[in-house]
Amino acid sequence: QSDDSEPEYSRKGADSCFACHDDQATLAVFRSKHAIRQDSRTPFGHGQLQCEACHGPGGEHAGRVRRGQERAPITAFSSGSTLPVMEQNQFCTACHQDDLGFGWHGGAHDMEEVACSDCHSSHAATDPVLVSSMQAQVCFDCHQQQRTQAMKPFAHPVREGKMDCGSCHSAHGGSSDTRLTQQATNDTCFGCHAEQRGPYLWEHAPVSENCGDCHDPHGSNHPGMLSLRAPMLCQSCHSQSGHPSIAQDASGLPDATPSPLLLGQSCLNCHSQVHGSNHPSGSKLMR
Amino acid sequence: EWLCESCPFEDGYQSNVEAGTTYVSDEDIRYGNATGYDKDGMYLNVDGDGVYSRDGYRQSWRVEDLGLDSRVVTVEGARQGRYGYWLEYNEIPSRVFGTTETVFDYNSGTLLLPPAWVPAGTTDGFAALEDSLKTRTIESDWGFARVGGRWIASDAFEVYANYSRQTRDGIDIKSGSSYTQAALLPRRIDYATDQADVGVRFRIGSGTLTLAYYGSYFDNRNAALTWQTPFTAPPGATELTAAEEPDNNFQQLSLSGAFQTDFWQSVLAFSVAMGRGEQNENFLDYTSNPNIPGAALPRPSLQGEVDTSNYAVTFTARPLDRVRVKLAYRYDDRDNSTAVDEWSRVITDVFPSGELQENVPYSFTRSRFSAEADVKVLDELRVSAGYDRNELDRDYQEVAEQTEDIGWGQVRWRPASWFELRGRGGVSRRDINRYDEDVAVSLGQNPLMRKYNLAYRYREFGELTAMVSAPTKPLSFGVTVFSADDSYSESKLGLTSSDEMRYTVDLSWKVSDAISVYLMHGGESVEAEQAGSAMFSAPDWNAVHDDEFHHWGAGLHWSPAEGKFDLRLDYSNGEGDTAIRVDSNGVASALPKLTSSLDSLRAEMAWHFSERLDLTFDVRYESFMTDDWAIADVAADTLPTILTLGASPYDYDIWAVGVGFRYYIGERDLQLAD
Repeated sequence: QSDDSEPEYSRKGADSCFACHDDQATLAVFRSKHAIRQDSRTPFGHGQLQCEACHGPGGEHAGRVRRGQERAPITAFSSGSTLPVMEQNQFCTACHQDDLGFGWHGGAHDMEEVACSDCHSSHAATDPVLVSSMQAQVCFDCHQQQRTQAMKPFAHPVREGKMDCGSCHSAHGGSSDTRLTQQATNDTCFGCHAEQRGPYLWEHAPVSENCGDCHDPHGSNHPGMLSLRAPMLCQSCHSQSGHPSIAQDASGLPDATPSPLLLGQSCLNCHSQVHGSNHPSGSKLMR
Repeated sequence: EWLCESCPFEDGYQSNVEAGTTYVSDEDIRYGNATGYDKDGMYLNVDGDGVYSRDGYRQSWRVEDLGLDSRVVTVEGARQGRYGYWLEYNEIPSRVFGTTETVFDYNSGTLLLPPAWVPAGTTDGFAALEDSLKTRTIESDWGFARVGGRWIASDAFEVYANYSRQTRDGIDIKSGSSYTQAALLPRRIDYATDQADVGVRFRIGSGTLTLAYYGSYFDNRNAALTWQTPFTAPPGATELTAAEEPDNNFQQLSLSGAFQTDFWQSVLAFSVAMGRGEQNENFLDYTSNPNIPGAALPRPSLQGEVDTSNYAVTFTARPLDRVRVKLAYRYDDRDNSTAVDEWSRVITDVFPSGELQENVPYSFTRSRFSAEADVKVLDELRVSAGYDRNELDRDYQEVAEQTEDIGWGQVRWRPASWFELRGRGGVSRRDINRYDEDVAVSLGQNPLMRKYNLAYRYREFGELTAMVSAPTKPLSFGVTVFSADDSYSESKLGLTSSDEMRYTVDLSWKVSDAISVYLMHGGESVEAEQAGSAMFSAPDWNAVHDDEFHHWGAGLHWSPAEGKFDLRLDYSNGEGDTAIRVDSNGVASALPKLTSSLDSLRAEMAWHFSERLDLTFDVRYESFMTDDWAIADVAADTLPTILTLGASPYDYDIWAVGVGFRYYIGERDLQLAD
């Protein structure tokens, strides 16, 4: 075969492949959405190229091999694949172009050349990344710092498998800076915490702007996933006349002079409406 | 056309159902957080999944933890290429404290004190406290129900719709303040949020276009929180009221698309979204105190309105075979057009302030431009660099105009398909036009304070990653180190610095075809410094926060190819501690360390008893302990002016042992056709 000739497909399609590749992990594709005969868009749909729809022409790979001769390679989709990621992904995007909407292009996954197969298991009957309770473990393969954070004592229930990364982030895009599912950080948080959306009569300025000013959504050592412990977190911004910003130290502990500014809910002992108040007398966020 | 005579296409039904019982050794409500195992004793549980396929129609279902408060049920169906639908229901139990005690009883919307309650000015005078305290767990249940569908009219046109209803009910903690005192209240919550997401997608040539509507409607069944104050109160101020989170809604229309061209393999993607949020809950009166003449409200409800605009455009191209570039611009605007009025506050339902105060509807506009280039210098070497410019304009705040310039670079060296080394680093500088001290003073704020989200900041950051991974080799290894140093060098009061370090190590080893093991470790350290002023002048105290967290994980999966069992072992450990040192007027004091320790072990085994039946065994151990000075040794009456709920830090050791069976319906293994 000359270098400029078209690569050849195998003589018998999948029947050729299954002569060797007959393990359950491979055959599981017949329990996936990729092997629906009646859907002509799928690799095993009528008129399609079966295994070679994704793995490319396999004529040479499936051909006879002389003793001592190395079998010709075929397109693989794993981390050790020699095929450039962009070319690997083209096999998928040939059909799944619509799944890559606005947000994918120029996003971190696109620019860092993440392969579709890095996250998706195209042969599996159930693709783990599409199941909420399994998804985070797939994401954590790369996002290992977030895996550590998810183990913190105060975190969203990702460790328990009751919330997935996709609840907030859109792996295929998302239009905000950190690929969030909604247009802005707060809009994403309001997806589950709509009670904080307001607008309130008395707004707390950072709340209206960015929940992340006070909360670390990936997990924290502090209740409420706060980025610092109260009252110091509040004292990072507030030093009011008539309500002095007094240093809170060990003298305010129960065995000394218990301080209502330090213990219990700290500043929130009184300013409970820290996300905003809709009470006409609530300008100090106490009603 | 190839026929594929050996392909094991499946028509019919295939599923597995796992049923069993789990014994939980001890009761601790916190162990039930997100798991549902909040009591000791026996639990019955069912899990499973299944698929039905026939003539191109495919329906699947999945059930997790059906017998627990953390249950998940999903159903999906489709005639692929034509239509699809999905239904989902899941619950998440939020279990916060089981050690809390209160004197309040909930009755007809009011938190009532016991009939024999004796008010006092401070908690040590509550003569009936001890006899009145009752355990009240702080817990709530989240429920999510979702239904949706998709209709594929043609290759070029598709319609989709999702509707979801989210509920949350239970009890959380809210404080209720009176004059100089407060009580932590076990507040009833009863929220419901309906959301709809509907869109049409067009395929035009090499591009896609999506027109979508998103609506979210929040309903709080409780308009007000009413409680009897346990403290001595002036006449008329014994029953107090605070506003609850108001009903609100948000609607948004968006148009987004991405178009590809052959010219430089470029892609132009854009998104335009315009939304409006509204809130019009009726106001409560200025005070519930009948002895204070009620002033008229400027209007009966907020008639609050926030308009949002979000525009974004991204252009990526490959002008040369080895060069990829990206240009992006994003614009976000929150315009709070709620009318401003003057309000006459009654302080803690006792003192009319005698002043009129205007409400402040905050708005902001944020824009971001970014440029990035990626050059494949050699086959094994890629170099990237980028520049971002952020601009943020606000009103009513100390800083009106804020900019941030970020420059970064990255080198990726991949000498072999199984090894990659990546280094990334950069700097950013956040500038402000000026910190308007007049605004700060008008808010009663110390003019030296620099709020950290408004302050000048210089940041240096870097990350190093090494990865060894090859499917042909049994070992994969990865290590990442990240560091970021923030300096707020122009802040005299407030946060002055924050240094962060994170690292991870990850090792997995495929010992044989049957056995694989993994080991992982991660850590994080944040040191933050702040300055404060008790004298309302120059800084006279500072605090240093050391937040540390470390995580270990290890596991084994043993699944002999033709074996009789499948075994998984997973262990994880998380240790957190926070040290806070406070130096006030030269006197140093350290608060006790805030600590947390989590050990979690799980062993799962399936014994393949027969072709259709597995016997399953599941052993879990979890230990969780915290030490938290904010609540440790803080009984209901420890604080003279705050009646607390007396919550204790977490401390449990629990075993959960489960046995059951998994039954397979339909062919368990796929067999090639003869």
